[in-house]
Amino acid sequence: MKPFKRRRKGGIAAEFEPNEALLLSNLAAQMIELLRDRNGSQESSADPLAQMVGMSGPIMPPEDPVLNRLLPDAYRDDPDNAAEFRRYTEQMLTSQKVTNAQALIDALIEGGLSEAEHSRARIEVELNDGAAIAWMKTLTDIRLALGIRLGIETEADMELLEQEAEEYERQTLDIYEWLGFVQETLVEAASR
Amino acid sequence: MTGRVGHNGEVTVPAPVELDQPDTDFIVELEDPWVTVVWNDPVNLMSYVAFVFRTYFGYTEEKADEQMMIVHEEGRANVSAGRREEQERHVQAMHEYGLWATLERSSV
Repeated sequence: MKPFKRRRKGGIAAEFEPNEALLLSNLAAQMIELLRDRNGSQESSADPLAQMVGMSGPIMPPEDPVLNRLLPDAYRDDPDNAAEFRRYTEQMLTSQKVTNAQALIDALIEGGLSEAEHSRARIEVELNDGAAIAWMKTLTDIRLALGIRLGIETEADMELLEQEAEEYERQTLDIYEWLGFVQETLVEAASR
Repeated sequence: MTGRVGHNGEVTVPAPVELDQPDTDFIVELEDPWVTVVWNDPVNLMSYVAFVFRTYFGYTEEKADEQMMIVHEEGRANVSAGRREEQERHVQAMHEYGLWATLERSSV
């Protein structure tokens, strides 16, 4: 990967190896799947108007720990207010997250990612500020999901994991850390 | 203000009106009753959290960094205060950014 840099004319650009681009795209597609599993594909469609018309979403927090972190309660120790808030806002939040993940996939496709195997060309993405924020949001969602799967609940967990990850965790941890690097360069470039 | 005429015809000064304890809850509500709290989490990058505070709340770099460090070191920071509906919008926005945020009544 060639890290994100702000170009003189304003766009924020990076280059990915084909396998890196495919990984990002797959993770974003999984994120979309996960969110749609929560609300059904209809409700997760990126149509704000449809969301506004049918404002009666779920009231219980998701049982899945990843979804629970992505769609957290807005009120602590106050289940009634948390349920009411969730009922009116969760579907909108879910569809915003789907839209962000889709923006990442779209930018990679625009940069040359194709379904065809053995694509050798590097994938070059150039983001405007809005797309850069959508990328940051979805990279965050993916890292939160991987963090839950890796059992990272405290900063101490992370240090422990870095020292003694099991073999099966190592690959996930590598991806998690690489996504952190992508995010870091994106935040830095967008701040200039 | 009206006075009362006593039995003898003289006008008496009205007795001071006894008030109940002032309704402080109501007074507080006119000011800043609800706060958006951002909680520390081990996943989000410090640079990203500060970026969100600058971009979304329009904080200066200095204030964004300061708030981010409060989250990091104290486990939580009150990043905004105001009307409930407004703070609910902020909490939802924070959730879209992937920050762990909740809404609570100001304890002030």
